Amino acid sequence: MSLLRLCASTAKHFAPKRLLGDSLFTGCARTASGAAKDQEPLRKAKTPQGRFDMTEEKSKDVLEKFPDDVNPETKEKGGPRGPEPTRYGDWERKGRCIDF
Amino acid sequence: MASVRAASRLLSKKVLSHPKAVPVAAVQGSRNFHFSIYGKKNNAKVSDDISTQYPVVDHEFDAVVVGAGGAGLRAAFGLSEAGFNTACVTKLFPTRSHTVAAQGGINAALGNMEGDDWRWHFYDTVKGSDWLGDQDAIHYMTEQAPAAVVELENFGMPFSRTEDGKIYQRAFGGQSLKYGKGGQAHRCCCVADRTGHSLLHTLYGRSLRYDTSYFVEYFALDLLMEDGECKGVIALCMEDGSIHRFRAKNTVIATGGYGRAYFSCTSAHTSTGDGNAMVTRAGLPCQDLEFVQFHPTGIYGAGCLITEGCRGEGGILINSEGERFMERYAPNAKDLASRDVVSRSMTIEIREGRGVGPDKDHVYLQLHHLPPQQLATRLPGISETAMIFAGVDVTKEPIPVLPTVHYNMGGIPTNYKGQVITHTNGDDKVVPGLYACGEAACASVHGANRLGANSLLDLVVFGRACALTIAEQDKPGEKLSPLKPNAGEESVANLDKLRFANGSMRTSEIRLNMQKTMQNHAAVFRTGSVLKEGCDKMDGIYQTLENIKTFDRGIVWNTDLVESLELQNLMLNAVQTIHSAEQRKESRGAHAREDFKDRVDEYDYSKPLQGQEKKPYDQHWRKHTLSYVDPKTGKVTLEYRPVIDHSLDEQDCAHIPPAIRSY
Repeated sequence: MSLLRLCASTAKHFAPKRLLGDSLFTGCARTASGAAKDQEPLRKAKTPQGRFDMTEEKSKDVLEKFPDDVNPETKEKGGPRGPEPTRYGDWERKGRCIDF
Repeated sequence: MASVRAASRLLSKKVLSHPKAVPVAAVQGSRNFHFSIYGKKNNAKVSDDISTQYPVVDHEFDAVVVGAGGAGLRAAFGLSEAGFNTACVTKLFPTRSHTVAAQGGINAALGNMEGDDWRWHFYDTVKGSDWLGDQDAIHYMTEQAPAAVVELENFGMPFSRTEDGKIYQRAFGGQSLKYGKGGQAHRCCCVADRTGHSLLHTLYGRSLRYDTSYFVEYFALDLLMEDGECKGVIALCMEDGSIHRFRAKNTVIATGGYGRAYFSCTSAHTSTGDGNAMVTRAGLPCQDLEFVQFHPTGIYGAGCLITEGCRGEGGILINSEGERFMERYAPNAKDLASRDVVSRSMTIEIREGRGVGPDKDHVYLQLHHLPPQQLATRLPGISETAMIFAGVDVTKEPIPVLPTVHYNMGGIPTNYKGQVITHTNGDDKVVPGLYACGEAACASVHGANRLGANSLLDLVVFGRACALTIAEQDKPGEKLSPLKPNAGEESVANLDKLRFANGSMRTSEIRLNMQKTMQNHAAVFRTGSVLKEGCDKMDGIYQTLENIKTFDRGIVWNTDLVESLELQNLMLNAVQTIHSAEQRKESRGAHAREDFKDRVDEYDYSKPLQGQEKKPYDQHWRKHTLSYVDPKTGKVTLEYRPVIDHSLDEQDCAHIPPAIRSY
């Protein structure tokens, strides 16, 4: 019997503190996400599932890959894509000079 | 009953303890210094010989490699392969080193496209270095080049191939056949358009097969020197702020260049010349630091280089008045003049006040007068580059550009085996226990000017050379010579001073001052008065290091502290660069002076040698500069060392006598 009373008293100690803590946290969370939620509709997260749902846009790369990765003029296999990097005397890629 | 009471007491304790719970982040100040060491080799010991404020851990290895770029990784696993217990201390994860940005190719005389001979590559490199390169080191590098490339390919590096399956080679980097008389040589091997990235990943993957201990994100502070011998390295672990002393019989420095000493450079933020500074603080010289390779059109702010093809396709450089200023400097070639002429013209325009931008410190490269389709077909990707790095639409606005640092030819002087040398009483003397390779070293294969695609070759050949030399001279498991118990205490004292520095200037302010001064005074345009002014300004800025202010007083991942240490290192490199440049009164390779436009050698090689009197050693400039700095005062002393003119085997490959360098 004494045990029960003790438990009750300890429970009273516990409960108010935890409730207070919880309400503080959830309150903050609500205000923070609430503002965001009001402005834009809920977007699906970029999880694998979400990404597969989006229409796939093939990003157009400026430097196209050669068929079979073989450069038709020089017959180089596995070489740099696009025009010959050393055509201006330095090593050029996408307008940037990499080495000279 | 008793147990129930005990339980209730426990419960009540829990309740009472809640209000006292303090979040972990608020606990500061005293730390528990019981430092537990984890890892597979449990022979590291904690000591308090040098400091009671910082936990210091002592490690013992057969060899330590500082830096894990191309050269460092090659040296580290070369040593591990030979059986040495090796540690690799690096401030970056290996695959994040700046080698990853070296996307050009690697030169080797494999002879896959046409008949080739490494002696012709030797000739091209000696000529490219403007006869300041040590011919024995160049002989070593070019002879080993085919074997090095084949070795890399055996490690799994996916070079591009010809139809026959041999490595495809292209023409690049001033390479010729038959000692310059046979036309263009095709020697440059590459991996699609990411050779450096692939090299680094291949080497890292290969190194994991061996038993190298990696200490990643450990910032090397200083060398542990005793009696002129290098006995190890002391480093700061950035993750938890502990100090580690790595004792080893052999130390290899492969820390890279110091591009960040200038305002505009292509290097990563981490290229701060730490190895050069460590060697300087140890009282040893650095060689040829005045030779810094510039490129005329680097994007302002970002540091990426714009290809010369832009100017080749019709792009023009304009100043603040909208004038095509190259017409004045090179009336015939105009914007297609050689790189050094263009760089110097741009710098002169900026100096005379016709620069653009709020600080008037750069010029514009205009491409929007060209038809957009032509740009897109001839230079695909340039609009993307300009938008990403400069934030401009290349079809409407010009790109802001200025001369940019790309490579440091100078560094720690070594012989062809990779051993660090000093020059006393007219002779080269090896520093026992210390080696260097890569961009940090100056072997010197690049001399006064580096040829394209030679630097990746330099990394692998000399990284391997250091490992071979160490394997020749030492055996694994040798007992280490004794070290003073308080070795490294000055480094810790410096660290402590920086951590609690409370002056008036922030690290970023001092660094910007240094970078701007170097860009204005020690860049492409060099003449006596400008350099002298720069030297005085740099000496002043060196003194302001005393006044540095840091904000982060913590010890765990203190980037403010590490950036300040890097600034100290950069400052040492910068003062040596500008003082060496000021003293060298000639123009050679990348060091071009307006007031001394010619090369000053022992003979005048533009005229026949008969009847000419040889100039004495102290009156000509075909010699290496060795610079020392007193770290406390910032005073630079310069000495000189002769260029090595003989090759390793005169029968096999005769040395090339100096001549006028013209292409």
